[in-house]
Amino acid sequence: MAGTAALVQTRNAVVEAAHEARVGWNRRATAAVVVLALAALVPALPLDVSLDGLAADLYLGAAAVGLGMIVGLGGMPSLGHGAFVAIGAFGTALLSDRLDWPTEAALVGGVVVAAIAGAAVGTVAGFLRPALVAVVSWLIAWLVFLGLAAFPSVSGGSQGLILEEGTVVGLRLSATLHYELGVALAALALLVFVVLSRSPAGVALAAARQNRAAAEGLGAPVARLRAAVFALGAGIGGLAGGLAVYLAGVADAAAYGPLLSAKLFIAVVLGGAVAPAGGLVGVAVLAALSRLVELGGLDSVQAARVEALLVAVIVLAALGTIERGLLPSLTDWRRRRRGGEPREVAAARHEPPIVDAPASVRGRGLTKRFGSVTALEDVDLDIQAATVHALIGPNGSGKTTALAVLAGAVAPDAGTVAMSGHEPGVVRTLQATAVFPELTALENALVGARPGLGHRVARAVLATPKARADARAARAGAQSALDVVGLGAAADVRAHELPGSAQRRLMIASALATRPRVLLLDEPTAGAGYSEVDLLADLIRDLRSSGLTIVLVEHNLRLVRRVADRITVLEAGRVIADGTIDEVVENEAVLKAYLGGPRN
Amino acid sequence: MSLLLQVLVSGLAAGAVYGLVAIALVLVYRLTGIVYFAFGDLVGLAVFAALLVAAGTGPVTQTNVGPLRFLVAVAVGTIICIGTSAAAYWLAVHPHVARGSVVGWIAATIAIAYAVRTSIDVFFTRPSYVFPDPLPFQDVGRGGFVSVGGASIQVRAFFVIAVGSALAVLATVVLRRSKLGRGLRAIESDVEGAALSGIPVDGLIAAAFGLTGGLAALAAVVAAPSASFGVDAGSLLGVKALLAAIAVGFSSPAAGFVAGLGVGVVEAGIANFHVAGLQLGPAYHEVLPIALVLVFVAVRALATQGGVTLRET
Repeated sequence: MAGTAALVQTRNAVVEAAHEARVGWNRRATAAVVVLALAALVPALPLDVSLDGLAADLYLGAAAVGLGMIVGLGGMPSLGHGAFVAIGAFGTALLSDRLDWPTEAALVGGVVVAAIAGAAVGTVAGFLRPALVAVVSWLIAWLVFLGLAAFPSVSGGSQGLILEEGTVVGLRLSATLHYELGVALAALALLVFVVLSRSPAGVALAAARQNRAAAEGLGAPVARLRAAVFALGAGIGGLAGGLAVYLAGVADAAAYGPLLSAKLFIAVVLGGAVAPAGGLVGVAVLAALSRLVELGGLDSVQAARVEALLVAVIVLAALGTIERGLLPSLTDWRRRRRGGEPREVAAARHEPPIVDAPASVRGRGLTKRFGSVTALEDVDLDIQAATVHALIGPNGSGKTTALAVLAGAVAPDAGTVAMSGHEPGVVRTLQATAVFPELTALENALVGARPGLGHRVARAVLATPKARADARAARAGAQSALDVVGLGAAADVRAHELPGSAQRRLMIASALATRPRVLLLDEPTAGAGYSEVDLLADLIRDLRSSGLTIVLVEHNLRLVRRVADRITVLEAGRVIADGTIDEVVENEAVLKAYLGGPRN
Repeated sequence: MSLLLQVLVSGLAAGAVYGLVAIALVLVYRLTGIVYFAFGDLVGLAVFAALLVAAGTGPVTQTNVGPLRFLVAVAVGTIICIGTSAAAYWLAVHPHVARGSVVGWIAATIAIAYAVRTSIDVFFTRPSYVFPDPLPFQDVGRGGFVSVGGASIQVRAFFVIAVGSALAVLATVVLRRSKLGRGLRAIESDVEGAALSGIPVDGLIAAAFGLTGGLAALAAVVAAPSASFGVDAGSLLGVKALLAAIAVGFSSPAAGFVAGLGVGVVEAGIANFHVAGLQLGPAYHEVLPIALVLVFVAVRALATQGGVTLRET
């Protein structure tokens, strides 16, 4: 009966997927389907257009959407996308020409090679700052171009690799079929972009674009996600390149120069990097512009060169005037017209979920030096399970370093950190501004939604049942974390539209969404008002009652006095006092450190 | 031995120009945080502007230009490079830098490179040009070449190395010793602090652009008669200079110059490499240095998880 069970399971999965599609459907989706249908009908209409030219533009547009994922979603400004288009093109051409692979297999082969190259580059790019990603990828564009020129045995030299007309599933690849494939590829690339940007992986990437350190602190595997997005974008570029080779009938190295990479990047920025359709719009604008300029021009080589210069200058001017690209500017304008008032946020809080196994943390002999500065010197810390333990001390006394060492974000030069139980579960919030301003409150919390849950690019793109279940669980976890801090009603509000106090609680919600057993809070009251401190104190006490162990670095002694069970005082990297609040305030060394007296 | 000398001299002559462009790239990066991708193309523009003044757009023989006209040509080329470079920066790039848009300035600098390249194309339609040489190097040795222990070395190369090194030393001294240099270092370490203490930030950055861009253009024009100059030679020059700059992690202009010399020598070495039957040959001389530097950057990035200088902050 295993067969029947599998059938029932499949049926349920399909029904569920259909339901989710219905729930997620909106006006934009309808508009997209209508545009797609109209685009697919173009060859049937009595129009005097060159389907060859349109198909080439569509392939270029699909490649640009792939680049849009790398730039807009991954935050990696790649100036080398043309190289991956070229790798897909020549991979496909070589497989077809030298090994006589059938069209479909050659295309798949080209995509795989391009995606592998993309994964390799993305693995490095994921660690680099954006300016250097641009440099490295620009060098790759030149490497592939010069390499193809230098080795005519691979690239076919100046005449290129000539291909026979391909057939896909028995159909001859005519101009009409190429056009329809172009529409399909562009639509597929758009769909992948939209699905990915809404998944937990996409949210984590968006968070990393705004504040990488905070996203990594919440457990988002930023470098791995970036490598995966790079591979995906490169694969789409490679497929576009392979199809374009069949369309042109030849793979010519001269067509894949750095200029192609530059053109794709400019198209993406022009259309808007963060908008899925940005690349497509950018390519359309560039194509329309060069055709418009041609209309007025003379029919000579000289005129063509002047036209190219004219296009370059117009593009340069357009880049300067359109702030974030055409599509995002349009969205901003519409949002401004509707008007957005900062929303009231209900403060009702839910009980936090009970922590199954409260954890204690023990640090022994922790020492950390940064160059000649000793941040920590032989520090012992005993943090009891389900208590609030405050670390206080003057500026530069090593509190934040201690927190980073406890979190495992900084390796100590000497000493050990041990946690009771086996599962890891330490999460650290950063100082006040570590919130992702452009994300909604729910998305902020989603960044922390249990590390690994839904952080799989391939699964998210394929929308497998597992990926969708993970995404649902992550969303539910994020929502309940918002409920705990009293932001449940503000789930759809963008973080920067929330008042400061709510932003601070949102940060705690992001940390709670990781389901930690130990929570490290770095100055949660920085810049907070009087009544907020009371609110935070209530929240921290509730969290402690649920079994969470909390380490608090804090200047505000009013908060420390109200919530801390135990206090460790640091000065110049050493522990100068340790005990309950009453014991510590009696301590002379502490008085001296804080008040500068009594002097002797 | 003789081959080594030949590689060294021709490599250093090419590398001196790469190095001067690298100085400009590194300095601008350290001052403004941007990589000015159009620098190579702008230097190419200087060379072609000089060519336009010296000989027009027609075919050129090696000797038909007088020294005075050549000097005017050099000056015009250098000034056009400085002016276009600074103007394009303030008009097209600075707005993106001001609003903190990284993709914006990258797109703008690349679009400038493209615009410069297309404007060269409007006047110069052949793929490559011979640049007239006012100095009589052909009369030295055998047609401008001397043979040293079996290797034939272009006499002109020594001149290019000398001029390039002198310009690099000049740049370094100005950046280290002068008031301009001190102001630039202040901007480099803290822009806002520099502005608050009365340093004219914008003016000094423009001056830095002018100084380094002008020196790089000068060196390129001086080196141009050594070989034929293609319409995309400027873009390639920019790529070689980027290679040098990223190899030293954009750490200092002087390091950038030395790395530029290194790139030149490695290229020349690869082109002439044959040991025990293994021969790389000219096909590899442009590809292999790029591949080597990329591997080096990748290893460094992965080993240090981005490292101190490369890691995004």
